[in-house]
Amino acid sequence: MEQVFYERALMWIVLLPLAGAIINGLAGRFAHKKLVGAVAVGTVALAFVLAVLAFVHLVGMKGGDDGARLTHHVYEWLSLGFPRGDVPVNVSFVMDSLSGVMTLVVTGIGLLIHIYSLEYMEDDPGFARFFTYLNLFTASMLLLVLASNMPLMFVGWEGVGLCSYLLIGFWWENPAYAAAGKKAFIYNRVGDFGVLIGMFLLVTTIGSFELADINANAREALQPFVLGRWEVASVATVACLFLFLGCTGKSAQIPLFVWLPDAMAGPTPVSALIHAATMVTAGVYLCARLSSLFILSPTAMAVIAIVGALTALLAASIALVQNEIKKILAYSTVSQLGFMFAAVGAGAFAAGIFHVFTHAFFKACLFLGAGAVMHAVHAHGDADIRKLGGLRKHLPTVHWTFLVSCLAIAGVPLFSGFFSKDEILYGALLSTGYFESAWIGWFLFAVLALAATMTAFYMFRLYFLTFTGSYRSAGEEGASHGDGHGYAPHPHRPHGRIAWPLIVLGTGAVVVGYLGLPHALHLPNVWGHWLETTLAALPPAKRELPEWLPWAAMAGGTLAMLVGIGLAWTRYKDKTPEIDEAFAGTSFGRLLMDKWRVDELYELLVIRPSRWMARFAGYIDKYFVDFLLTRATAMGVQVSGWLFTRLQSGLVFAYGVVMVAGLVVLAWWFMYPHPEVEGAVQDGGVRWVAARGLGYEYRWDVNGDGRFDVEEWTDQHDVTTRYEEQDYVGYALVVETPPRGQEVLRLDPEGRTRVIPEHLLGRGWETDAEGNRRPPAASVDPESGKVVLRANDAHVRAPAGAADEDGVLRLSAGDTVQVGAAFMRVAPVARATVEVRNAFGNVRPATEEIVLDPRVGGERQAMLIGGDR
Amino acid sequence: MGTAGDLLFLVCAGFALGAAVATVTLRNPLRAAVALLVHIVALAGLYLTLNAHLLAALQLLVYAGAVVVLFVFVIMLIGPTAAISRGPVKGVLIRTAGIALMSLVTVALAFTMIDVAAPYVAMPPCPPEMGAECGQFGGVEALGRAIYVDSLVPFELVGVLLLVAIIGAIAVARGRSAAEIAQARKRREERELEAAHERAEEKRLAAEVAAHGGH
Amino acid sequence: MDIGLGEYLALASILFGIGAVGFLTRRNVLIQLMSIELMLNAVNVVLIAFNRYLPENHTGQVFAFFVIAVAAAEAAVGLAIVISLFRVKKTVQSDQADLLKH
Repeated sequence: MEQVFYERALMWIVLLPLAGAIINGLAGRFAHKKLVGAVAVGTVALAFVLAVLAFVHLVGMKGGDDGARLTHHVYEWLSLGFPRGDVPVNVSFVMDSLSGVMTLVVTGIGLLIHIYSLEYMEDDPGFARFFTYLNLFTASMLLLVLASNMPLMFVGWEGVGLCSYLLIGFWWENPAYAAAGKKAFIYNRVGDFGVLIGMFLLVTTIGSFELADINANAREALQPFVLGRWEVASVATVACLFLFLGCTGKSAQIPLFVWLPDAMAGPTPVSALIHAATMVTAGVYLCARLSSLFILSPTAMAVIAIVGALTALLAASIALVQNEIKKILAYSTVSQLGFMFAAVGAGAFAAGIFHVFTHAFFKACLFLGAGAVMHAVHAHGDADIRKLGGLRKHLPTVHWTFLVSCLAIAGVPLFSGFFSKDEILYGALLSTGYFESAWIGWFLFAVLALAATMTAFYMFRLYFLTFTGSYRSAGEEGASHGDGHGYAPHPHRPHGRIAWPLIVLGTGAVVVGYLGLPHALHLPNVWGHWLETTLAALPPAKRELPEWLPWAAMAGGTLAMLVGIGLAWTRYKDKTPEIDEAFAGTSFGRLLMDKWRVDELYELLVIRPSRWMARFAGYIDKYFVDFLLTRATAMGVQVSGWLFTRLQSGLVFAYGVVMVAGLVVLAWWFMYPHPEVEGAVQDGGVRWVAARGLGYEYRWDVNGDGRFDVEEWTDQHDVTTRYEEQDYVGYALVVETPPRGQEVLRLDPEGRTRVIPEHLLGRGWETDAEGNRRPPAASVDPESGKVVLRANDAHVRAPAGAADEDGVLRLSAGDTVQVGAAFMRVAPVARATVEVRNAFGNVRPATEEIVLDPRVGGERQAMLIGGDR
Repeated sequence: MGTAGDLLFLVCAGFALGAAVATVTLRNPLRAAVALLVHIVALAGLYLTLNAHLLAALQLLVYAGAVVVLFVFVIMLIGPTAAISRGPVKGVLIRTAGIALMSLVTVALAFTMIDVAAPYVAMPPCPPEMGAECGQFGGVEALGRAIYVDSLVPFELVGVLLLVAIIGAIAVARGRSAAEIAQARKRREERELEAAHERAEEKRLAAEVAAHGGH
Repeated sequence: MDIGLGEYLALASILFGIGAVGFLTRRNVLIQLMSIELMLNAVNVVLIAFNRYLPENHTGQVFAFFVIAVAAAEAAVGLAIVISLFRVKKTVQSDQADLLKH
């Protein structure tokens, strides 16, 4: 088939499950369960088939430097304006080696879990709703994986978060389950804000949303991140840390991991699919996707690695003492995710993704096995291993697949977990050559080995207590369904639809590991080779690395496994759980039972202050907004309204009288003319315009001599005149101080002196620093008609000949001098007086002066903006 | 304006003044309405002296033909005797003050107006340079053009105004039958009952929340 | 005698004053409505008189035309209110219609 077919297939891989969700969401509740199941499973199966076809094609393709890839651009969704230009947000999909693997995991394991759910959810009244959510989840996860750019990926990222919330609270009738859903959603929101900030930091720095562009131009992000006055690390570090904050929310790492154990409130297939195999690995995928960016920031990488390793240890330690199957598996998931992040942080991206891949198989198998156990003993919500035991005889298929998966997760050689964990430990050791200080690598290795020991221990504790010994709820006839009374006395075997997915996943848990054979053996590593085009490689080691590192990794992993399984064997094989009671009584045991009291810590640090803040805001709302603003205003209006009602008589004639009073005022106003006059410099002359009115007549005196130019009244309301020197009524000083603007100082014609205000002169106008600060002063000399400017203590620059010895300037109209920062221009002043008479014979005058300077008035703004100085 | 015009003005003005005084003073509203009719006809005559031929006709049509008839109709509907005011007068003081003020203003205005001097003291005759246009002034064609072409939008708006006035008049003046009144009362009572139910329900819910809240 | 603008304006003022005083003196709503008509007519006289002096366009007359239309609408609504008032109060005296007070 043609290339186009495979490219189109990418779109349909996402759209098919979405279509299933829409069909089941709209019509599912009216349809038969078999039909709903067929739609849900059929769409995912088709998506899986398309994914396999596309992947096979991808394997056969010859790619460029960055490997083979299938891309399908659907349309441009948005175009966002940024200072550096428009950045398009495309709806386009890309499948390269990394997203191809993830697509196979999501569709393949998703398909198995869909099939499994057909029986598991058979009797649930929300059957159609469940499959709607599950299909929607699959579509969102595929969107996340296949998106070619960050915003589209974020849509998927949010979509899986939403579906997670919906499915954790699937049995919302139970308030605790609904609360668990909310908890998951809120913790994820905290992380999502980090993803958004990281995304926008990247787009403003690199100028593209496309993941490929970000990876290609990642070096641009090495510029310093400026926060106010400080330069805080590089943009890459800041962006990576924010993105990692999102990963800690989505992938349940310290500090946001506490939601995942509670998320086990959802149906078990959901725990298997979303909270073990796919969604929670989205954070690892994001880091691997942007590996070229992350690798540039050793700081962020170190943070990621250490946080991952510590999460692995912390969660494993909690899992040691838990008693519910799904709780143990949930903490195990958190712990394994910690392994993945430790790998990513150590720069072993391929190892991290490899662990995602193997973990998806064995953890999904474990969860489905746990679900099968619960289904068999009629446990609702979760199953207490203290009341189980000996299920090996009752549920052979479940037992064998569970055992295989336990061996895999514990890291027994020849099982998949061994290979991926070995890669991670090796990556941790290699990172001693990447980080500035080698101890980070050694620390990672030590913590991860310890966590691996714990993993082996708690997994086999779980296995022995559940499947060996004797069934501890057998005697309690009639009491079933949890509540501390034990479970169904006779576990029943599951049907094929539950068994087959277990067998497939169990097989996968064994074989997929052979894709990545240990480095120590120098055999071809298919996995690493496949991903090396997509993932960034570590820079050359900063220091010499010993030859024995691969062997050390393998030895550490094997030793951890042996110690863990050995301890569990001696302690729990065919034993009853009472053996734990002594340890659980110690204070450390209680601390572990209480999950290190992290929830309590958050309660104290975050939730309570939030409550206080909410209460405070509530008080503000109650007493400030509701009382002071609302009630008091309303009362004020009420009081004034009451006052105004006193004025009302309700009698029509009274209102008439008031209107008459208004009429009188209006009549009186019209009895007299209201003259106004304005002047404007025009073509060297001045045009005076007087306000017009009914029956107005005018008499003008435009030359300022106090006599009317024409004694008779005319209806001429505008006059244009030219002014000669003898017509001036005085002078004005137009002071321009560039940033400040313009000010006009009118000079008295009688010769009184006017001091120029200091604030107009700018800084440094004084001639001496002795403290003499007499600003210049101006006056009009009545005899010569010139303007006299005394410089006093100011710097003055004047045209030649204007100044005499003692700093006195004699200026005529149009002369310009500079004093300090101010430019001063002498401009003549003209005056017009008009008398206006109206039809009633009443007369009133109006006078206006104008400064005859072309820059005064309307052109002022233009002058300031144009900046001709 | 020639002598005939002056005469017409004097006659019309006299009638208008007399009829106006009669309108506001006659005790019987029916007679007042007839006086108003006379006043309106006199004003139509005045409009003729001002070259407003079309408006004079409209004045007769609208005022004499519609408004006054409407007045008479309403007076007859109420009953001429019921329309005569009786009983003690309220607010004598403020009323007297208002009347005095208005009279003062009227007299002042009238005396000022009649002294209106420059520049337009006399009515200019139709100047020859305006020609036929001048003769058209106030005629049907010229005024029609001014109304229907230059002021088309206000004219349409006035149409809407009249429509609204008609609907408003019907809505205000229309009475309600006994059955309608009873139905309205029943509906109101139902609404009140429903509101009471809702309040009770809200109170119950609030009590429930208070009892189970706090977690 | 030469009749000019002044005479028309004076006549209009007096008519307006008569209308206003009538509105204030009479308690009968019908007569008060008629007084309002008197005032509106007085304004029309002013508009038309001024239009005669500035005969370049017909603005004054058009305005008067609109005043007539508005007056007709006002009379219709006013009289409807009178009927309504009479139905409720059994009287047409304006000082009896003070339900809006307070």
